[in-house]
Amino acid sequence: MSDETKTANPPGPEFEPSAERSDVPILVVVITLVLLFLGAVYFDYKSAWFNKEVYSPYTSAEQLEAAQPISGAAAAAAHGKQVYELVCGVCHNTDGQGKPNQAPPLAGSEYVLAKGHDRLIHIPLAGLSGSMSVEGKDWNLNMAPMGAALSDADLAAVLTYIRSSWGNKADEVTADDVKAVRAKLGSRPQPLTGEQLKSMPE
Amino acid sequence: MKNGFGIFLAAFVALAASWCGFVLAPEKQLGGATETAVLNSSDTYPLQRPGDAALGLQVYRANGCAACHTEQVRQDGIVASVVLVKPGKNPEAVTNLMSTLKLAGLSKEDADAAAAKIKTAGGAAEVHIAATGPDIARGWGMRQSVAVDYLYDDVVQPGNLRAGPDLANIGVREPDANWQLTHLYAPAGVVKGSPMPPFRYLFELRKIGDAPSPDALRFAAGYSLPAGYEVIPTPEAKELAAYLLSLRANAPLHSAPISP
Repeated sequence: MSDETKTANPPGPEFEPSAERSDVPILVVVITLVLLFLGAVYFDYKSAWFNKEVYSPYTSAEQLEAAQPISGAAAAAAHGKQVYELVCGVCHNTDGQGKPNQAPPLAGSEYVLAKGHDRLIHIPLAGLSGSMSVEGKDWNLNMAPMGAALSDADLAAVLTYIRSSWGNKADEVTADDVKAVRAKLGSRPQPLTGEQLKSMPE
Repeated sequence: MKNGFGIFLAAFVALAASWCGFVLAPEKQLGGATETAVLNSSDTYPLQRPGDAALGLQVYRANGCAACHTEQVRQDGIVASVVLVKPGKNPEAVTNLMSTLKLAGLSKEDADAAAAKIKTAGGAAEVHIAATGPDIARGWGMRQSVAVDYLYDDVVQPGNLRAGPDLANIGVREPDANWQLTHLYAPAGVVKGSPMPPFRYLFELRKIGDAPSPDALRFAAGYSLPAGYEVIPTPEAKELAAYLLSLRANAPLHSAPISP
């Protein structure tokens, strides 16, 4: 048997095939990175970076905001109305006239229309108890701190809404105003009495 | 195996990456979804489905309705129009101005500009927004479907094939339970040429007893049953109809704005 025929023999059962290591062609690396980049750009374009509010055909939060039927200051007013009807309107009524034996009116109320905001902001944050007079009429009721659970922005929107609706005309309350009063009151304020409220600076 | 650890690592990375993409990322994005506010109103959306409608979802699922029906509406854009609300003190000037303006088929910016012009002339105008797209043109909804539409559906049935129409707002299109039930019993008898198979096993055809049942289906003229017989829906059929009636994905939302 010659050497040549020996090398052509099939490998025996103990033969283990193996592959040598070799470098990945640089072109494959480049193409992979380019595809990854394009994919990321596509995601960004289509989903506003996974913003859950934004769906195609909108591609950014700004675009979605611009497409709202009501936007800007009008949207803030609409939001205030929305929160009011959900939280306050049950007792103070959706027309701000209050309800007998439930809640005094807000339309024309001297507390709502005061020049400063501070006293007004105290009421939903601390609550009220005992007798007080609104528009010359006596009310002897309790009000829970309904605004304590609202965010600064929501409460500011509500107060702005009640100060500018049903014939009321007073300037707006900002979220910073609410924040300042909330910080002053601390975490568990006692309900205010009518006298406390009356003697409080506006 | 010579490279066992390397192969394990590669397989692990591949599966972990797809798990992150298909499970973790959507969970992070939408897992905390809650009820949302209906645009410019104090209502929240969506409401829990009534009990029988929630059961009906399981009937819908069991009968494979999603094999031929989708519950997802696509949208390719919006179109704005300007609507006069109050003519103001000088209606003539406002009308003259409006006759020179384009009032429908506008972009939001153009509509806002036109509304501002009308406001300057003393009137008051509102910008109305409507969704556009092939599905909306077919009357299958007012806006596109968004994730919150499916908030209370356990096993969401979005479907991916449309042998039949989209059902995202079928409860608005056909709000009559009797229509839904007769259509399930005899689709072609209600919608001419409908290829939908009849789901008669959800109903009972029986002889009228002493008096006709108040539950019996009321068929439209032209569809007749054997004399002396009536068709009574089983509880499953009633639940399925309740579910179909509860499909009303029409509320204007922040993420899918339209004018109410």
